[in-house]
Amino acid sequence: MKRRSFMKSMMAASAVAAAPMALMAKEDAPKAKKKGPNDMTYDAAVAAITGGKEVKDSDKIKLTVPEIAENGAVVPVKVEVDHPMEENNYVKAIHILNTKNGNARCVDVMLTPANAKGYFATRVKLGGTQEVVGLVELSDGTFIKAAKSIKVTIGGCG
Amino acid sequence: MAETEARKSMIKIKPKKYKTGDIVKVDFIVIHPMDTGMKKDKKTGEIKPAHYIDNITFSFDGKPFTTMKVWETVSTNPYFSVNFKVPGKGKITVDYTDNTGEKNSKSKKLKPKD
Repeated sequence: MKRRSFMKSMMAASAVAAAPMALMAKEDAPKAKKKGPNDMTYDAAVAAITGGKEVKDSDKIKLTVPEIAENGAVVPVKVEVDHPMEENNYVKAIHILNTKNGNARCVDVMLTPANAKGYFATRVKLGGTQEVVGLVELSDGTFIKAAKSIKVTIGGCG
Repeated sequence: MAETEARKSMIKIKPKKYKTGDIVKVDFIVIHPMDTGMKKDKKTGEIKPAHYIDNITFSFDGKPFTTMKVWETVSTNPYFSVNFKVPGKGKITVDYTDNTGEKNSKSKKLKPKD
Protein backbone atom coordinates (compact mmCIF):
# COMPACT_ATOMS: atom_id res chain seq x y z
CA MET A 1 0.00 0.00 0.00
CA LYS A 2 2.80 2.33 0.80
CA ARG A 3 4.32 1.87 -2.58
CA ARG A 4 1.01 2.52 -4.34
CA SER A 5 0.35 5.75 -2.47
CA PHE A 6 3.89 6.83 -3.08
CA MET A 7 3.49 6.26 -6.82
CA LYS A 8 0.20 8.16 -6.80
CA SER A 9 1.69 11.11 -5.03
CA MET A 10 4.61 11.12 -7.43
CA MET A 11 2.26 11.08 -10.40
CA ALA A 12 0.31 13.99 -9.00
CA ALA A 13 3.46 15.94 -8.22
CA SER A 14 4.85 15.47 -11.71
CA ALA A 15 1.55 16.49 -13.25
CA VAL A 16 1.52 19.63 -11.13
CA ALA A 17 5.12 20.32 -12.00
CA ALA A 18 4.55 19.77 -15.71
CA ALA A 19 1.51 22.04 -15.97
CA PRO A 20 3.23 25.30 -15.05
CA MET A 21 6.16 24.36 -17.25
CA ALA A 22 3.87 24.14 -20.25
CA LEU A 23 2.21 27.41 -19.33
CA MET A 24 5.55 29.14 -18.91
CA ALA A 25 6.74 27.91 -22.27
CA LYS A 26 3.62 29.34 -23.87
CA GLU A 27 4.09 32.67 -22.13
CA ASP A 28 7.72 32.80 -23.11
CA ALA A 29 7.10 32.29 -26.78
CA PRO A 30 5.74 35.76 -27.59
CA LYS A 31 8.35 37.36 -25.35
CA ALA A 32 11.16 35.62 -27.22
CA LYS A 33 10.06 37.24 -30.47
CA LYS A 34 11.86 40.54 -30.39
CA LYS A 35 10.14 43.62 -31.62
CA GLY A 36 11.91 46.12 -33.80
CA PRO A 37 11.13 49.82 -33.98
CA ASN A 38 9.30 49.69 -37.33
CA ASP A 39 7.81 46.24 -37.49
CA MET A 40 5.55 45.67 -40.45
CA THR A 41 4.36 42.48 -42.09
CA TYR A 42 4.95 41.78 -45.75
CA ASP A 43 1.29 42.08 -46.70
CA ALA A 44 0.94 45.39 -44.87
CA ALA A 45 4.06 46.74 -46.54
CA VAL A 46 2.83 45.79 -50.00
CA ALA A 47 -0.56 47.35 -49.26
CA ALA A 48 1.12 50.56 -48.05
CA ILE A 49 3.22 50.82 -51.20
CA THR A 50 0.65 49.87 -53.81
CA GLY A 51 -2.44 51.27 -52.14
CA GLY A 52 -4.36 48.08 -52.90
CA LYS A 53 -3.51 47.99 -56.61
CA GLU A 54 -2.89 44.72 -58.40
CA VAL A 55 0.70 43.48 -58.51
CA LYS A 56 1.68 41.27 -61.43
CA ASP A 57 4.56 38.84 -61.55
CA SER A 58 6.86 39.84 -64.35
CA ASP A 59 9.97 38.48 -66.02
CA LYS A 60 11.05 42.03 -66.87
CA ILE A 61 12.65 42.23 -63.44
CA LYS A 62 15.96 40.48 -63.02
CA LEU A 63 16.54 39.85 -59.33
CA THR A 64 20.07 38.68 -58.55
CA VAL A 65 20.46 37.11 -55.11
CA PRO A 66 22.50 34.18 -53.81
CA GLU A 67 20.62 30.87 -53.49
CA ILE A 68 22.26 30.12 -50.16
CA ALA A 69 23.43 32.92 -47.87
CA GLU A 70 25.91 31.70 -45.30
CA ASN A 71 25.70 34.93 -43.37
CA GLY A 72 22.25 36.47 -43.09
CA ALA A 73 23.70 39.82 -42.02
CA VAL A 74 25.10 40.56 -45.47
CA VAL A 75 23.01 39.37 -48.39
CA PRO A 76 23.71 41.14 -51.69
CA VAL A 77 20.59 42.02 -53.68
CA LYS A 78 20.61 43.39 -57.20
CA VAL A 79 17.55 44.47 -59.16
CA GLU A 80 17.59 45.22 -62.86
CA VAL A 81 14.43 46.26 -64.70
CA ASP A 82 14.21 45.84 -68.43
CA HIS A 83 12.14 48.95 -69.10
CA PRO A 84 12.87 52.18 -71.02
CA MET A 85 13.83 55.28 -69.04
CA GLU A 86 12.24 58.01 -71.14
CA GLU A 87 10.61 61.29 -70.14
CA ASN A 88 7.11 59.86 -69.70
CA ASN A 89 7.79 56.16 -69.51
CA TYR A 90 10.25 55.15 -66.85
CA VAL A 91 10.80 53.07 -63.73
CA LYS A 92 9.49 55.24 -60.94
CA ALA A 93 10.47 53.22 -57.90
CA ILE A 94 12.15 50.00 -56.86
CA HIS A 95 11.16 48.58 -53.48
CA ILE A 96 13.11 45.75 -51.91
CA LEU A 97 11.05 43.69 -49.49
CA ASN A 98 11.43 40.48 -47.53
CA THR A 99 8.72 38.10 -46.39
CA LYS A 100 9.70 37.08 -42.85
CA ASN A 101 11.81 39.75 -41.14
CA GLY A 102 10.18 41.83 -38.41
CA ASN A 103 10.21 44.78 -40.75
CA ALA A 104 9.39 43.61 -44.25
CA ARG A 105 10.70 46.77 -45.88
CA CYS A 106 14.36 47.17 -46.79
CA VAL A 107 14.76 50.07 -49.21
CA ASP A 108 12.48 52.21 -51.36
CA VAL A 109 14.35 53.79 -54.25
CA MET A 110 12.74 56.60 -56.23
CA LEU A 111 14.32 56.84 -59.66
CA THR A 112 14.10 59.49 -62.38
CA PRO A 113 14.84 59.35 -66.14
CA ALA A 114 18.33 60.77 -65.34
CA ASN A 115 19.29 57.32 -64.02
CA ALA A 116 19.05 55.95 -67.58
CA LYS A 117 18.59 52.37 -66.33
CA GLY A 118 16.33 50.70 -63.82
CA TYR A 119 19.11 49.33 -61.68
CA PHE A 120 19.71 49.18 -57.95
CA ALA A 121 22.01 47.14 -55.75
CA THR A 122 22.52 46.93 -52.00
CA ARG A 123 23.07 44.47 -49.15
CA VAL A 124 20.36 43.48 -46.69
CA LYS A 125 19.98 41.53 -43.45
CA LEU A 126 17.79 38.43 -43.39
CA GLY A 127 16.63 36.78 -40.18
CA GLY A 128 16.11 33.35 -41.72
CA THR A 129 15.27 31.41 -44.84
CA GLN A 130 12.74 33.45 -46.76
CA GLU A 131 11.93 35.25 -49.99
CA VAL A 132 13.28 38.55 -51.20
CA VAL A 133 10.87 40.52 -53.36
CA GLY A 134 11.65 43.24 -55.85
CA LEU A 135 8.52 45.37 -56.27
CA VAL A 136 8.73 47.88 -59.11
CA GLU A 137 6.46 50.82 -59.79
CA LEU A 138 6.32 52.10 -63.35
CA SER A 139 5.51 55.70 -64.25
CA ASP A 140 2.06 54.72 -65.57
CA GLY A 141 1.08 53.56 -62.10
CA THR A 142 1.32 49.81 -62.61
CA PHE A 143 3.19 47.51 -60.27
CA ILE A 144 5.23 44.47 -61.16
CA LYS A 145 7.25 42.16 -58.95
CA ALA A 146 9.71 39.31 -58.86
CA ALA A 147 10.57 37.10 -55.91
CA LYS A 148 13.35 34.68 -55.13
CA SER A 149 13.84 32.50 -52.09
CA ILE A 150 17.10 32.52 -50.20
CA LYS A 151 18.28 29.82 -47.82
CA VAL A 152 19.91 31.50 -44.86
CA THR A 153 22.28 29.41 -42.74
CA ILE A 154 22.90 31.94 -39.96
CA GLY A 155 20.29 34.64 -39.39
CA GLY A 156 21.48 38.20 -39.26
CA CYS A 157 18.72 40.13 -37.60
CA GLY A 158 19.86 40.18 -34.01
CA MET B 1 24.74 64.13 -30.51
CA ALA B 2 26.86 62.85 -33.32
CA GLU B 3 26.72 65.84 -35.60
CA THR B 4 30.36 66.60 -35.00
CA GLU B 5 31.39 63.04 -35.66
CA ALA B 6 32.17 62.75 -39.33
CA ARG B 7 31.34 59.40 -40.84
CA LYS B 8 33.59 57.78 -43.35
CA SER B 9 31.86 57.53 -46.67
CA MET B 10 32.84 57.08 -50.25
CA ILE B 11 31.41 57.61 -53.72
CA LYS B 12 32.75 55.38 -56.47
CA ILE B 13 32.14 55.90 -60.16
CA LYS B 14 32.44 52.78 -62.32
CA PRO B 15 34.06 52.49 -64.81
CA LYS B 16 36.86 54.93 -64.02
CA LYS B 17 37.04 56.37 -67.54
CA TYR B 18 33.80 57.68 -69.01
CA LYS B 19 32.51 60.21 -71.53
CA THR B 20 29.56 62.58 -71.57
CA GLY B 21 26.46 60.52 -72.30
CA ASP B 22 27.86 57.31 -70.87
CA ILE B 23 25.90 55.36 -68.29
CA VAL B 24 28.00 54.88 -65.17
CA LYS B 25 27.43 53.12 -61.87
CA VAL B 26 27.40 55.44 -58.87
CA ASP B 27 28.23 53.47 -55.72
CA PHE B 28 27.81 55.06 -52.32
CA ILE B 29 29.38 53.34 -49.32
CA VAL B 30 29.14 54.60 -45.74
CA ILE B 31 30.53 53.29 -42.46
CA HIS B 32 27.44 53.12 -40.26
CA PRO B 33 26.38 50.62 -37.54
CA MET B 34 22.77 50.25 -38.80
CA ASP B 35 21.60 48.96 -35.40
CA THR B 36 18.19 47.31 -35.53
CA GLY B 37 17.26 48.02 -31.94
CA MET B 38 17.13 44.29 -31.20
CA LYS B 39 20.76 43.33 -30.66
CA LYS B 40 22.40 43.27 -27.24
CA ASP B 41 25.63 45.07 -26.57
CA LYS B 42 28.10 42.32 -25.71
CA LYS B 43 29.92 44.45 -23.12
CA THR B 44 27.04 45.96 -21.15
CA GLY B 45 24.31 43.40 -21.89
CA GLU B 46 21.84 46.16 -22.70
CA ILE B 47 19.86 46.33 -25.89
CA LYS B 48 21.36 48.84 -28.29
CA PRO B 49 18.87 51.45 -29.47
CA ALA B 50 17.98 51.52 -33.14
CA HIS B 51 20.36 53.61 -35.19
CA TYR B 52 20.06 53.45 -38.95
CA ILE B 53 20.17 55.63 -42.04
CA ASP B 54 16.65 56.56 -43.12
CA ASN B 55 16.95 58.97 -46.04
CA ILE B 56 19.43 59.30 -48.86
CA THR B 57 19.40 61.80 -51.71
CA PHE B 58 21.67 61.59 -54.74
CA SER B 59 21.94 64.90 -56.58
CA PHE B 60 23.87 66.27 -59.53
CA ASP B 61 24.72 69.98 -59.34
CA GLY B 62 21.98 70.47 -56.76
CA LYS B 63 19.27 68.64 -58.70
CA PRO B 64 18.20 65.41 -56.99
CA PHE B 65 17.98 62.42 -59.31
CA THR B 66 17.47 59.55 -56.88
CA THR B 67 15.99 59.51 -53.40
CA MET B 68 15.86 56.52 -51.09
CA LYS B 69 14.00 55.59 -47.97
CA VAL B 70 15.98 53.09 -45.94
CA TRP B 71 15.05 50.87 -42.99
CA GLU B 72 17.12 49.01 -40.44
CA THR B 73 16.93 45.79 -42.46
CA VAL B 74 19.83 47.04 -44.60
CA SER B 75 23.25 45.65 -43.67
CA THR B 76 25.90 47.28 -41.51
CA ASN B 77 28.19 49.60 -43.48
CA PRO B 78 25.70 49.70 -46.32
CA TYR B 79 26.33 50.29 -49.96
CA PHE B 80 23.85 51.63 -52.49
CA SER B 81 24.42 51.46 -56.19
CA VAL B 82 22.45 53.22 -58.95
CA ASN B 83 23.01 54.01 -62.59
CA PHE B 84 23.46 57.55 -63.86
CA LYS B 85 23.80 59.04 -67.34
CA VAL B 86 26.67 61.56 -67.33
CA PRO B 87 25.28 64.88 -68.57
CA GLY B 88 28.67 66.64 -68.50
CA LYS B 89 31.01 68.12 -65.97
CA GLY B 90 29.59 68.63 -62.52
CA LYS B 91 29.42 67.35 -58.99
CA ILE B 92 27.55 64.40 -57.52
CA THR B 93 26.44 64.97 -53.94
CA VAL B 94 24.96 62.36 -51.62
CA ASP B 95 23.11 63.68 -48.57
CA TYR B 96 22.02 61.26 -45.91
CA THR B 97 20.26 61.49 -42.58
CA ASP B 98 19.71 58.87 -39.91
CA ASN B 99 16.99 58.30 -37.35
CA THR B 100 18.90 60.13 -34.61
CA GLY B 101 18.92 63.29 -36.72
CA GLU B 102 22.50 63.00 -37.84
CA LYS B 103 23.11 64.73 -41.17
CA ASN B 104 26.03 64.24 -43.49
CA SER B 105 26.95 64.66 -47.11
CA LYS B 106 29.64 63.56 -49.50
CA SER B 107 30.55 64.92 -52.92
CA LYS B 108 32.53 63.79 -55.89
CA LYS B 109 33.34 65.68 -59.09
CA LEU B 110 32.39 64.16 -62.40
CA LYS B 111 35.09 64.67 -64.99
CA PRO B 112 34.09 63.07 -68.27
CA LYS B 113 36.94 62.58 -70.72
CA ASP B 114 35.81 63.63 -74.18
